[in-house]
Amino acid sequence: MKKSFRTFVAAAMAVSLLAGCSGSSGQTATTAQDGNPAAGNASSQAETSGSQAPDGGKSYTVGIGQFAAHGSLDNCREGFLLGLAEEGIVEGENLTVLYENSQADGGIASQIITNFASQKVDLICGIATPMAQTAYGVGRKQNIPVIFTAVTDPVAAELANADGSPVGEITGTSDKLPVTQQLEMIRAILPDAKTIGIMYTTSEVNSLSTIEEYKAAAGDYGFEIVDTGISTTADVPLAADSLLEKVDCITNLTDNTVVASLPVILDKAAKKNIPVFGSEIEQVKIGCLAAMGLDYIELGKQTGRMAAAVLKGEKKAGEMNYEVIQEAAFYGNAKVAENLGITIPEELSSSAKEMFTDITQ
Amino acid sequence: MTLLLGVLEEGLIYGVMALGVYITYKILDFPDLSVDSTFPMGAALTASALLAGINPVLTLFLSFGAGALAGCATGFIHVKLKVRDLLSGIIVMTGLYSLNLRFAGGRANVPVFTQDTIFENPFLAGIMPQWLSPYLMVLILFLIIIICKVLLDLYLNTRSGYLLRAVGDNEALVTSLAKDKGMVKILGLAIANGFSSLAGCIYCQHKGFFEISVGTGTIVMGLASVIIGIQLLCPENGTSFLSALKLPQVRPTTAVIVGSIVYKACISLAISMGMEANDLKLITSILFLVILVVSAERRKKVKSHA
Repeated sequence: MKKSFRTFVAAAMAVSLLAGCSGSSGQTATTAQDGNPAAGNASSQAETSGSQAPDGGKSYTVGIGQFAAHGSLDNCREGFLLGLAEEGIVEGENLTVLYENSQADGGIASQIITNFASQKVDLICGIATPMAQTAYGVGRKQNIPVIFTAVTDPVAAELANADGSPVGEITGTSDKLPVTQQLEMIRAILPDAKTIGIMYTTSEVNSLSTIEEYKAAAGDYGFEIVDTGISTTADVPLAADSLLEKVDCITNLTDNTVVASLPVILDKAAKKNIPVFGSEIEQVKIGCLAAMGLDYIELGKQTGRMAAAVLKGEKKAGEMNYEVIQEAAFYGNAKVAENLGITIPEELSSSAKEMFTDITQ
Repeated sequence: MTLLLGVLEEGLIYGVMALGVYITYKILDFPDLSVDSTFPMGAALTASALLAGINPVLTLFLSFGAGALAGCATGFIHVKLKVRDLLSGIIVMTGLYSLNLRFAGGRANVPVFTQDTIFENPFLAGIMPQWLSPYLMVLILFLIIIICKVLLDLYLNTRSGYLLRAVGDNEALVTSLAKDKGMVKILGLAIANGFSSLAGCIYCQHKGFFEISVGTGTIVMGLASVIIGIQLLCPENGTSFLSALKLPQVRPTTAVIVGSIVYKACISLAISMGMEANDLKLITSILFLVILVVSAERRKKVKSHA
């Protein structure tokens, strides 16, 4: 008697947990007891929610999968929606947006995309390389066009052919850094600097290819690159200490882990009076001296416009080459310059897209 | 339907890994964290092997073998160097992270979209009728996992398999049979990590790329699958709802695979309910805790009978 009661409790607990997720206990209990996983239930639910979405012929559903949460990627998403809106596809009016963030978990990323596919989205937007690859992996089987953004090297990620043409129904924008312009800017601001330090995460492909580019170009501007690799956020403080011992300034990539820990690096660098250059607007806002970088909102807008063309049927994703932002914009932070006792040359500050006068925490 | 297939595909891939975790956690009573790194190891090796033009089917065996070696390393560190079980797993897990990057040719992300895989190759394209293609992946995964399961079941019924089970339950018995319990443990870990690595291999071919972050949380998924499956379908006192409903009993290996699919279904449901990914880990851990608490009660009972 007791035994069977215990079993019952165990089964009930497990089932109610499933039910807690689904919100409909009866249904889940039956599917689970059939020995048939609760998946059947899942698909029926998704189908109903999918069919509610369109109301009229010109209504679209877009699934946005973002790999991790940080400023640049959030800006991409924001810009993407703005770009779609410019083309008359407005969220809440004729656009349903399904947004999911995988918090840098590859397993979750693939489930997110599968969910999008099951909800019959018209287009998947993959933000950052792993998400774009996952989206392509699913999209090509389900015939859903994929638009990516914030993929530094689409060719290395096999999302585009070497000539920039699409490998399938997939295209988008790359956030390749304007390396030579950044080096030129650093030389203009620090005429005497010899070494530039770069911290990167060994597990981020984008960082590796950008560092190669830095190393190749640094000599032309009389710099030497000192790089230090980290594997987790926990390594940042120690790596920053050792790097700051060896360099005249630091420049950042769009390395996710490093950018997320940027305040730590900025704090340590400020104590040693070493300037830190950023790679995009958000980094300058929080205390990098300057950046020749990308405006991710602009990048997102460009991506959104491409997506609009695909949604409206003007062009197929497979017919558009991937795009990069041609012109790098200068961003400076006057407050940081003042703290470091550095003057930003007039020709740079006058051409700045934006100059910040304080440090946002 | 797409979602159902998606859940089945994910569940079956991770089910292979869960078979491994079943051996370590349930049979050997060994909290083996090395699966967190053997899973991406299988994926890394597979990506490199496919790029080198090795037959996709061969990569399955290659990955299993490499995983088994890593499992031996964990076992060796624990048994011969007398490091605590949890720590020896952590040591191997940490070390393999670097090695995995090496295996993948120094890159953290290796796409294999254009290579032939076990799911997409000229041979399959030639023999498979068109209407079958949406189900092809599930069929292949099903085939692989059934082979794994049957082989594991057969093994567990051999002399060596009995010893493996005995080590988890009663080490003294194994010693009294004049067998080295350490060697048995190493063997168990080797098989377990072989399965984990094999799952990584399948994952890589299924997704079309290797990414160093795929290993994150593998052990949690494995444990969840094992615990859910066992508690649902074959609890230790033998009275599951299957017997209550007069349905045939299933083997633990089957239960574990079902557990993996149920777990993936839960996650999928949570996502389609609009749950944020930020909260998913919390759900997993609560799910985990509740089931563990329920099973802990039962375990005490079993021990007191022993």
